[in-house]
Amino acid sequence: MTQRQIRILYRTCWTIALLIVAIPFMFPFVWMVSAGFKSTTEIFGAPTLIPRVWRWQNFIEVFTYQPFARQYFNSLYIAILVTVLTLIISSLAGYALARMRFAGAGLLMLFLISALMVPEEVTIIPNFFLIRSMGLVDTHWPLILLPVFGPQGVMATFLMRQYFLALPKELEDAGKMDGLSRFGVWWRIALPMSRPAIAAVAIITFLSSWNLFLEPLIFLSSLEMFTLPLALSNFNDSYGLPLWNLQLAATTLAVVPILIVYLIAQRQIIESFALSGVKG
Amino acid sequence: MEAWLFVSPSAIGFLIFFLGPLCAVVYFSMTEWNLLTQQAAFVGLANFKNALLENPDFWHVVRNSVIFALGLVPLNMALALTLALALSRPFFGVVFFRTVFFAPVVTSAIAWAIVWKFLLQGEGGFINQMLAIVGISGPNWLREPNWAMAAVIVTRVIKMVGLNMILYIAALQAIPRDYEAAARLEGASRWQIFRMIIWPLLAPTTLIIMVITTIGSFKVFDHIYQMTGGGPENGTLVLAFYIYQQGFKFFNIGYASALAMIMFVIVMMLTIVQVMLRRKGAE
Amino acid sequence: MTNVFLKGIEKRFGSVEVIRGVDLQIDDGEFVVFVGPSGCGKSTLLRLISGLEHISAGDIYIGDRLVNEVQPAQRGVAMVFQSYALYPHLTVRDNMGFGLKVRKVPPAERQRRIGEAAATLKLDALLDRYPRELSGGQRQRVAIGRAIVGHPDVFLFDEPLSNLDAELRVHMRSEIAALHKRLATTMIYVTHDQIEAMTLADKIVVLRDGRVEQVGSPRTLYENPANIFVAQFIGSPKMNVLPADAAPLLAALPATPPSAESVGVRPEHLTVVSPGEGVLRGEVTLCEYTGAVTLLHVALDGGHDCLVIYDEREMPGVGSVIGLRAEGQNLHFFNQHGQAILASAHST
Repeated sequence: MTQRQIRILYRTCWTIALLIVAIPFMFPFVWMVSAGFKSTTEIFGAPTLIPRVWRWQNFIEVFTYQPFARQYFNSLYIAILVTVLTLIISSLAGYALARMRFAGAGLLMLFLISALMVPEEVTIIPNFFLIRSMGLVDTHWPLILLPVFGPQGVMATFLMRQYFLALPKELEDAGKMDGLSRFGVWWRIALPMSRPAIAAVAIITFLSSWNLFLEPLIFLSSLEMFTLPLALSNFNDSYGLPLWNLQLAATTLAVVPILIVYLIAQRQIIESFALSGVKG
Repeated sequence: MEAWLFVSPSAIGFLIFFLGPLCAVVYFSMTEWNLLTQQAAFVGLANFKNALLENPDFWHVVRNSVIFALGLVPLNMALALTLALALSRPFFGVVFFRTVFFAPVVTSAIAWAIVWKFLLQGEGGFINQMLAIVGISGPNWLREPNWAMAAVIVTRVIKMVGLNMILYIAALQAIPRDYEAAARLEGASRWQIFRMIIWPLLAPTTLIIMVITTIGSFKVFDHIYQMTGGGPENGTLVLAFYIYQQGFKFFNIGYASALAMIMFVIVMMLTIVQVMLRRKGAE
Repeated sequence: MTNVFLKGIEKRFGSVEVIRGVDLQIDDGEFVVFVGPSGCGKSTLLRLISGLEHISAGDIYIGDRLVNEVQPAQRGVAMVFQSYALYPHLTVRDNMGFGLKVRKVPPAERQRRIGEAAATLKLDALLDRYPRELSGGQRQRVAIGRAIVGHPDVFLFDEPLSNLDAELRVHMRSEIAALHKRLATTMIYVTHDQIEAMTLADKIVVLRDGRVEQVGSPRTLYENPANIFVAQFIGSPKMNVLPADAAPLLAALPATPPSAESVGVRPEHLTVVSPGEGVLRGEVTLCEYTGAVTLLHVALDGGHDCLVIYDEREMPGVGSVIGLRAEGQNLHFFNQHGQAILASAHST
């Protein structure tokens, strides 16, 4: 065999190996969609990739079993709100920590770093009583406030700070010479130049809010207030056993739009996670 | 002063929703507070004594958490590094593979657990149906403690390995190609290049990934909640789930707070180890 | 009339004193260059004038107005930065118009001024491009254009040419000189390159360790440096400084000033003669041929090294012994503190 042939063979073997490894990563999605269209009997019959009978009713029953549209909307608006708030608050604080000297900056940094490391499970019990004393149980407030000011928000602050630190200082000086206030420099120079960091924070924050589970589980009790992950885990019959075809249909509805966005923007999304991981 | 206008939203929220609760949990952990007492009564370190010395559940949970971490971290890291090595250089299909391996990361843990729970059903589950074709009678995965633990670990690794893979790819791509070229000119084999050049240069990344993944393994909750609910026979009852169970299902606020403190200490220790190792590496 | 007047300026960063009492008068329309080695405080001084840094002590007047507490944008100054500091997310047009927009100049007037500046700097064709699409020289021009459109009373340049290659640097230097001629605005220019300082300046301010060493025209600084530091900083290659007793060997002088500790003579003022009695003798250790002239490194008998610019065709070989002479008027005497002993005291 020539060198070239050896290389092609080598490449092919690698690719086949990778394809085999990829099966457990891809197959659950495929099977989820397929099972979402099946009837209960077909689901546990002989396995078929294409449903013998396409049971579209599953996708209608999803909405009648629970207020699924409402729950879908809850997740969407909460995730958007959390993202916007996180962006504003973290970029303001991140800018101050990167560029301004003020009393208490060192202490604040220290506290924020410690917050970054403490899992939310540690503070969730006092937070529950705090939220309850505010009368906000079974509202969406805790799902907005806790992530914005919790570890996720702190991580966003650090990400922004790191990015602001790397911006050339002379640009901000130029802004000051052009007559901008501190706030103006932040809004019209620092922020427009930080698009990659903003995108990363937005993507990660949105996804983590969208997928948030512990807080909804603890704080929400009425079906209309549920968010998607909680709603998904709630497709059970009266004995607490899963209604498999409905649950999988609902899961399909929840997961597929995110997957489509992911496939379109995969480069940007993966880079965002890499950025946050490298800094974190 | 102006600076505080910038940081105050963040700082105030942080005080209310993090620092305050963190102090509160220290106090809670030293109280007797449950459905019977209805309110907190100071009992000193009794909850810690209970957890560490009296309650057999606690050590069972710690054992489960350690097994989970010991299973998940090496598997995750080895797979992440292997995939990263395969995918750090451009070739036909590299984007496809990266996209596929990362896809579970953006998916909700609940959704992921729902689908896997479905695939791992004892009777009529897809995995067992496939095994039956090759003549293996698969176990009832999620109903037997050891198999359930294995299933939870493996599905969690598949869910999260993409993240570490990306971090490893970024680290690999930051290594100048000249090193490898120089080593190759000196006659090093592929394995030698990896063992003697790539691996040492990846050490800082490996350290960070190891600590992040370990901490993450102690925090895992939603995955377990959905797949096994801590069962069967508490076989997958890990620390984060135990805190939730004690605090919000059984309303043992004092005891659950003590558990939260223990988790806090574990995570802190892991972080300190990381910082120390990093310093040592920097010297 | 826009003069700039600095009185007793001091600047500390924490406990580090960067500027230690600077007094300076800059006249209207003057081109002043701050020059000095890195870390001398020249850029800090410029940033103090711009208002980007706050003075620790002293007073700054711009156009007879005390500006100690005035915001940078209200001081009537414009700055050209070393890195150009062009906003990467804005086009050339928007970069130039940004400051006007912030100051709420009406759009029509804004466009007029941008057009004007673009015409002056030959930027018309580039107005809709982004900074990343421009060459170094073009970016430099945009940075200047951005300063021009605000019609400032004073231009501040912070090492504006240091990021350009040698050829472009010479070219932009002449463009800046032409710009000053046309606008006749006060300009303050910071550089570490003494050639830039010499060619551009009406007045050079030599700084060292946060203090002014000497202020004067390029000619004054070259011909009558106030001390050894200025003498060696201005002029290239730098002035040779030898013990004062070498002076009688170099030139026939009525008398060496009694307080003289050392004598300075520039390499271009030394001529090579045969090494007879009563002349300064040395051994050639290195000849650097540059085309127009040759730079001789000479090890003097007394142990000192000396540079000589030599423009004859036949070169002395390495190792040969030569004699050196100079004109009496080209010798500079310094006392034990390195201060110049005034020319009138010894020249004939």
